[in-house]
Amino acid sequence: MNPKHSYAYLDPEAKREIRRKVLKALAIPAYQVPFASREMPLARGWGTGGLQLTLSLVGPEDVVKVIDQGADDSVNAANLRRFIAHVSGARTTTDALEATLIQSRHRIPEERLQEGQILILQVPIPEPLRYVEPSDAKARELHALGDYSLLWVDLFEEHLHYGHSRKGAAYPVLVHGRYVMDPSPLPRWDLPKLHQAAHITLFGAGREKRIYAVPPYTQVEPLAFVDRPFQPEPIVGSCRRTGCRHVFLNAIPQEDGSLAYEISDQGYMEKLLAGKESGPLFGEKQHG
Amino acid sequence: MGYVVARGSQEAILNAEALFRELLPRGAGQWSKSLASYLPYLLDQVMAEAGLWAPELAAEALAQTGGDLYEALLLLRAHRTTLPRLGKAQLQKKEDLLLVRRLSSAFKSIPGGQVLGPTLDYSLRLLGFSGTQGVEPETTAAPQRYPSVRTWLKEQGLLEEDPVAEKDLEEEIPDLTRQPLLFPAPRAHRLQALARGDTGGLLALAYSAMRAYNVHTHPTVAELGVGYLEVRAIHPVRGGSFRLGRIRLAFAEVVGHGEKGYRLGFAASLGWNEGRVIAGAMLDLEMDRPTHPARSEEFVLVHTDPVEASGFALHYKLPHYVTFFSNWMSHQEAALEP
Repeated sequence: MNPKHSYAYLDPEAKREIRRKVLKALAIPAYQVPFASREMPLARGWGTGGLQLTLSLVGPEDVVKVIDQGADDSVNAANLRRFIAHVSGARTTTDALEATLIQSRHRIPEERLQEGQILILQVPIPEPLRYVEPSDAKARELHALGDYSLLWVDLFEEHLHYGHSRKGAAYPVLVHGRYVMDPSPLPRWDLPKLHQAAHITLFGAGREKRIYAVPPYTQVEPLAFVDRPFQPEPIVGSCRRTGCRHVFLNAIPQEDGSLAYEISDQGYMEKLLAGKESGPLFGEKQHG
Repeated sequence: MGYVVARGSQEAILNAEALFRELLPRGAGQWSKSLASYLPYLLDQVMAEAGLWAPELAAEALAQTGGDLYEALLLLRAHRTTLPRLGKAQLQKKEDLLLVRRLSSAFKSIPGGQVLGPTLDYSLRLLGFSGTQGVEPETTAAPQRYPSVRTWLKEQGLLEEDPVAEKDLEEEIPDLTRQPLLFPAPRAHRLQALARGDTGGLLALAYSAMRAYNVHTHPTVAELGVGYLEVRAIHPVRGGSFRLGRIRLAFAEVVGHGEKGYRLGFAASLGWNEGRVIAGAMLDLEMDRPTHPARSEEFVLVHTDPVEASGFALHYKLPHYVTFFSNWMSHQEAALEP
């Protein structure tokens, strides 16, 4: 460990601020808590919000997993993992079930996370109203009033013009019947995993200086009309390495112009390829 | 002495310049020769905004201005004014770039592979930290050409038809350095203006779109390329193509949802400053149907020329006492009337 830095890089006061704001975020599900957001030795927009959460929570006994778009070996995930391990002394893993802290960019692992596990999602744009109300001051007022009519109109217009919603990743969700939340650019496939989940999900937006959370066993419902239900991405094709088609797949362009597919959750795919037993999947949970 | 003097202003400006030089270390010409080796990205930015590839002149301009970027690129642009145009380079396509770095964030892997190349993107920004180790050259050479991600997308039918994309390349390309910028601008003018736009200005305007300020798109980088371009020309006497030299170049191609497939945004610029071309490509994507003035073609291109913007900002230092008095009186007239 480099003696020039505080334990886990952040100074103790920054950690205290973040921990207090995490508690507030957990107490008011999906409410965006502003925080000071320190500059990290990583470019803004590359996971500095998630990193600050991870570093304010990590201890030497923790086991940390870092993924980017589902992959542990993605370059930025590898860089973050190296840094977190270096400044905290924590052990790292690619096994989602073994990890106590999982920092992720835009994916939730396929294996069902358990009580005691914390999932930390990196967030580019925390404000679900941004697309319909660019001013942050006005958006906060709309949240306070619980006035989400602009979002409903937007969704209605999509159905009107295209016959379906065109929202892809970062599909807005209503949490605990109160605040509408941007779930970070998760694929829609991952949204049901937030609903009545056993684990804690924390969201960190470093550039935008917001922390929010979904505490365990909380209602998380994608915005949808009763007669126009929410649709996750369809699974097209099957994994070229495992043959699976029951989990989210990456599309990979081939030289001949075709597309190959591969399981996006790399830790899960490695378990399948090694013939190891995997835990129950989120998808296998029928009821919250 | 005030800054407005009826006589003797010639002497005053000589003294002012002498004082400026006095405060700069002597012998700047010595170290400016090594700028291209030590601070290539700084030179890249000056040359990009100047729209002129001339590393030695750019270094000299930086030395002469004490590192004032706007002054330096003005020197370069003004210098180019004195140079006659001897000929035109041959057209080069994006695929002709000798890439040292290329990546696509739209796909986990792409035909030809993701090539990280020389970058600090995935290194920690720790001051005083240097984890440098030597690099052994590979025994096999890197490919000269990589398949374009755009071509792949096009073959998949994923791209919206672009009426201007494949226009006859034999046509004369309009040149922003020889023609005024009028709107709607020819596509070549737009790309040229983005290529030499102010880095900070392009970034600020593009960032407003990236933050989704009054915009509802989620662009993705289909391909980012960094490399060397061989500048070639036809020999004026004996004919035949010959190589004039190499320049550093970067491009970004971004895609966003359109009505009938993905729309493309593109920007390329001298030098290896990746943020410039990503911002430029994002702006190019938004300009055809801007949802905010900050992303409309006219607003962006007019207001991000670094020479014009910085020059006008500085002109406020000029005496304005006549206009100031005139305006003052016009506000006073009601009160002054007998």
